[in-house]
Amino acid sequence: MIEIINAAKQYGNGESATAALKGVSLTVKDGDFTVLLGASGSGKSTLLHIASGLERPTSGSVKYDDLDITKLSEKELTAFRKKKVAVIFQQYYLLPHLNVDKNVKMGADLIGNKDYRSIIEAVGLGCKLNKLPSELSGGEQQRVSIARALAKKPQALFLDEPTGALDEETGRQILDYICRLQKEHGFSMIMVTHNTNIAETADTVIKMNSGKIARQYSNENRKSAYEIGW
Amino acid sequence: MIIRARDTLKLIGVLIMSACAVSVCALFINSNIDLARIKDQITDPEVMAFYDVLVQSGNVTSAISGGALLLTTIIMLFFYIKHYIDTHKSELGILKALGYSDFKIAKGFWVFGLSVFAGTSVGFGISWCLMPMFYKQMRGDELLSDVPLPDIPMHFNPELVLFMIIIPSVVFAGLSILYSLRKLKSPALELITGKSKVKIRKSKQSSKEQSFLKELRQNTVRSRKSLVFLIGFSAFCYSDMIQMSISMTDTLDVGNMMTVMMAGIGILLGFTTLYIAVTTVIKANSKTIAMLRIFGYSDRECKSTILNGYRFTVAIGFIIGTIYQYFLLKTMITMFYNDEIYGLPDYSFDIKAFIITLVTFVPIYETIMYVYSKRLKRISLKEVMQSE
Repeated sequence: MIEIINAAKQYGNGESATAALKGVSLTVKDGDFTVLLGASGSGKSTLLHIASGLERPTSGSVKYDDLDITKLSEKELTAFRKKKVAVIFQQYYLLPHLNVDKNVKMGADLIGNKDYRSIIEAVGLGCKLNKLPSELSGGEQQRVSIARALAKKPQALFLDEPTGALDEETGRQILDYICRLQKEHGFSMIMVTHNTNIAETADTVIKMNSGKIARQYSNENRKSAYEIGW
Repeated sequence: MIIRARDTLKLIGVLIMSACAVSVCALFINSNIDLARIKDQITDPEVMAFYDVLVQSGNVTSAISGGALLLTTIIMLFFYIKHYIDTHKSELGILKALGYSDFKIAKGFWVFGLSVFAGTSVGFGISWCLMPMFYKQMRGDELLSDVPLPDIPMHFNPELVLFMIIIPSVVFAGLSILYSLRKLKSPALELITGKSKVKIRKSKQSSKEQSFLKELRQNTVRSRKSLVFLIGFSAFCYSDMIQMSISMTDTLDVGNMMTVMMAGIGILLGFTTLYIAVTTVIKANSKTIAMLRIFGYSDRECKSTILNGYRFTVAIGFIIGTIYQYFLLKTMITMFYNDEIYGLPDYSFDIKAFIITLVTFVPIYETIMYVYSKRLKRISLKEVMQSE
C-alpha cells in the first residue's frame, strides 16, 4: 500500500516561491489503478514524482507499507526504486544507441530477469528486437518503454502522460496494453493523464487543481468521466 | 548575428591550444629570423655547423609542435561548432524555416575565429615575455658554451604578427563558416524537432549475451568518436610532453626554461582537453544517467558505465605519447646531436621519465574521474526530465 500523507512541494524561496503541491494525502491499495486528472500546472506530475521517489516533498511523507521513503538517503532511495517502482514517461527516454532488446534489458538486468523477452512479445514487439528506437513509431517506442518498466517487475508502476505524444488511436492501444498488463501482473498503478476516457478503467479517479485534490472518486462501478459528471 | 561573442568564451580549449602553438612557434621562428641576420658574420665552418643545427632544430620543433597543435586546434574548433549546432538546433531550424539561407546563418559562425585570435595573441605575448630568457638560454646552452657564435640581437619581426595571429584568425574564422555550412545542411524541420537520424553502426550491436551495463558502456564510447579522440589526446599530450621534458633535460641538458615550458604545455593541454571532453561526456549522457538512476542503478554503476569505458582510450593515448616522444627525440638526436661535433651517444628509452610520468598521471586522472563521479550524483532527475 502506498500512503501519501500531507505532502507539499515548494519550488524556489522567498517571493519567487511556488507551491506546486499543497498538502495532498492519498492512499493507493496494492493492485489498484489510480488516475490523476487535471489541467497543466495542477500538481499532478509533481505528485507522481513524489510518490515514485523521484523527488522529495518539502513536507509530509510517502510510505510504502511501513517504509517512509522521504526519510531514506539518496543511496537507499535508489535501492528502493530499483526494487519497488518503475516509471514511464511521455517522452519514452529510450537509449537511442541500443536496440529494443537491450533497452528492455536495462530494466530486466536490475532484478536478474532472464525471461524479459516474453514481455517484449507481450507488448507485440517480438519481431523488432533488433530495431533501434529511431526505427520505431511513437507507439512502438512507448511499448518498448512499457516493456522496459515491466521487465523489472515493479510493485508500483507510475505513468506520466504515457499517451501524451501519441495520436488517439495509438494512445488507446497503449492504454489497453497497460491495463491488460496491470491485470495480469497485479501491480499498483498511478497514471497522470489528460485523457478523461481512461477514468472508466481506473479504481480511483482523482482530479487535481492548484496543487490540491479537488475531487476524488472511487470508481467501483467503472463509470466513465462523463458518467461521473466530470 | 545569432552567435554572440560570449558564446566563444566556451572555446577556452581552442584558446589554450592556439596560445601554446603560437608561443612555441614564435619563440623558435623569431630566433631563427634573428639567427639569419648573423649568418654573414660566421666564417668558421665548425661554427656554421652549430648554426645549422640551431636553425634546423628550431624549424623541426616549431613544425612538429606547431603542426600537431594546429591540427588539434582545428579538431577542437569543429568539435565546439558541432556541439553549438547540436545544442541550438531548434533556433537554427527556426531561422532556416523563416527563410534565412544556410550561408547567411553560417556567416555568423565567424566569431568562433575570435577564440583563435585571442589564443594566438596571448601565445604571441607569452613568447615575447619568454624571448629574452630564451635567447639567453640559447647562448648559455652548455652544448654551445664553447662555440663562439656571435651575439644574437633580439628583434621584433612584424611579419610574425601577420603569420601567427592575423592569418590563422582569418583562416579559422573561414573554417568555422565552412564547417557550420556543412553542418547546417539538415532540413529545417529536422533541426527544429531535433529528430535527426542517429548514425549508429548496427553491426556493432552485440548479439552475444552480455550485461546491459557492459553493452551501454561500449555504446557510450562508440557513439561519440570525437570524444574518444579528445580523451586519448589528453593522455597523449601529458605522456608525450612530460616524458620529453624530462628526457631532454637528462640527455641534452637543455635549460630549465625549456623543461618547464614543455611540462607546462603538457599539463595544460592534457588536462584542459580532458576537462572539456569529460564535461561533454557527462552533458551528452545526462538523460541516460538520469534514466539509470530512476530505474535504480547505483551511482557507482552509473560512473562505471559512463566514464570507465574511456580507460582503454586513455591507456592507448598514453602509450602512443610514449612511443611518439621516443622516436621524436631519437630522430632529433640522430639528426642534430649524434655527430662528431656534439658526440652524444645513441638515444635510448628513458625508463625514469616513463615511470615519473605514469606515476604522476594515474593519480591525477583518477582524482579527476572521482570529482566527475561526484558531479554525476548532482544531476537533477527532474531537471533532466523537464528539459525535453
